[in-house]
Amino acid sequence: MSTTTSPNIDKKTSDEADWEAWQTSFLNEAFTNLRRFTSIPFLAEKMERVRKGVTPREIIYEEDRLKVYHYIGEGEPRFKTPLCFVFALVNRPYIMDLKEGRSIVANYVKAGFDTYLIDWGTPTRAERFLTTDDYVNGYLLNVVQHLRERNGSDQVNLLGYCMGGTLSTMFTAIHQDLVKNLVLLATGIDFSTREGLINLWTDPRFFDVDKFVDTMGNIPAEFLQAAFLMLKPIANLVEKPINLMENIHRDEFVDDYLHMETWLNDNIPVPGEVYREFAKYLFQQNLLTKNRMPLGRHIVDLRKITCPLLNLMARNDDLVPCSQTEPLNDLVSSTDKEKIIWPAGHIGLAVSGRAQKDLWPRAVDWLVQRTD
Amino acid sequence: MSDNMNKGFDQVAAFQRLWTDSFANMASVWSQFTPGSPPSDEIRKMRGGMLKVLAETWDEYMRTPQFMEMMKGSLNGAIDLKRMARDGMNRVHEQFENPSKEDIDGVLMAIRHVERRLLDRLEGLDDRVANLDEKIDKVDQRIAKQEHAIEPRGQTSKNKAEKPAATTAAKHSPSI
Repeated sequence: MSTTTSPNIDKKTSDEADWEAWQTSFLNEAFTNLRRFTSIPFLAEKMERVRKGVTPREIIYEEDRLKVYHYIGEGEPRFKTPLCFVFALVNRPYIMDLKEGRSIVANYVKAGFDTYLIDWGTPTRAERFLTTDDYVNGYLLNVVQHLRERNGSDQVNLLGYCMGGTLSTMFTAIHQDLVKNLVLLATGIDFSTREGLINLWTDPRFFDVDKFVDTMGNIPAEFLQAAFLMLKPIANLVEKPINLMENIHRDEFVDDYLHMETWLNDNIPVPGEVYREFAKYLFQQNLLTKNRMPLGRHIVDLRKITCPLLNLMARNDDLVPCSQTEPLNDLVSSTDKEKIIWPAGHIGLAVSGRAQKDLWPRAVDWLVQRTD
Repeated sequence: MSDNMNKGFDQVAAFQRLWTDSFANMASVWSQFTPGSPPSDEIRKMRGGMLKVLAETWDEYMRTPQFMEMMKGSLNGAIDLKRMARDGMNRVHEQFENPSKEDIDGVLMAIRHVERRLLDRLEGLDDRVANLDEKIDKVDQRIAKQEHAIEPRGQTSKNKAEKPAATTAAKHSPSI
């Protein structure tokens, strides 16, 4: 008899347990939703509190729209050779010093490096004819010379991120004697790969660069912003807002989200000629890997890079895939070269909690061992 | 049928395929529904699955030649429109004898050319100065070498010159 009743009782208890779990879940969800809705009015206030950079800094050099920030650490720097951060021309550079606990700059300042960052500024229509040569052999060279004089050192360490990495690589190839160590983050070098959507979209069969630049002048920030959003439309336009709504009651999540979004939406126009050269010479003709990239009266030859090289790349990077970055280590003549492929995206490589905890201490240590 | 029409049909077909694929794949995500777990968790799981499917389908679609043709068409259309608007504005400016964007660009371009020429000349001069420096250094080095070579000889001749002096001194000393 017991053998016939027992399964029924079990089934009943299991049904009751399921029902209880459903009820609890509904109740929890209802309370969480209430907390979410009450958090919405405070969003604007939190947005106002977002700071663009956290480490104390001073401006030490200005030229046209360019500014160089010097980060002030506690006490004297340990190393004589300065470290200069070179950021891309498409966004503002404060991603390097986003917020406390998410700052690459702070890692190097704490380690005792005399740290500087180049802010290229926002180009106006007057800068539409500036070329890559002006940036590399003009502004960047002037900044490096200034830092050498200021610190009394023969060379500088360069750390380039994204397009800033490509500029730093070109600079090092032309002025190797001025660069002690080169650190690159998510830097596009080999544009022959068709893994990334940007590479596909700039295919000369579908994209007439000359017509575009001749008409637009400087490339508008909105155009670049739209292109970046379209790389992952579902993630950027659907998942991201849903995630925000789900976590809007969690202060830490909202703070991270607002910092990131403020930076992501802070696009600036790119000088037309620089865009033309990058699209044509790099994305369409891939001249950098062929050692034929023209830069004013120079030709960039990557084989002339002999300094120690640390090449950091992100495995899930949808903007600059690893296949676009990795070949650099084989194209330079440096004997001391290392690459790290980190499980993150293009931005996560710089600011994710995991990268800050594990990757950046390694990268800082790499430079410490090679700097005097 | 013209090529343009064919292209248009291809683009529509590709766009249609994007949506049919998306819905078909999303249906497979819904079929994994297990009523045993709390509904909020299930909904989240399903939503995640659906968005993943959508993201993959869109990524595939954005790599198709049809999408690229569509992108090219819309970009060219936007550029043509901007050019037309600018040409119109230029004519208006011309009539009113006001400087237009094209004029300003022309001035900027002229300044840029002058700047480029000056920079080229400066760089040329820089190279010449560097060459001269190099040559002067070489000459300095050669002079230093020659002086170095002369010095020991000078020293020996000095010694020789000193020796007779010493001997004369010695010769003279007894007389003192």
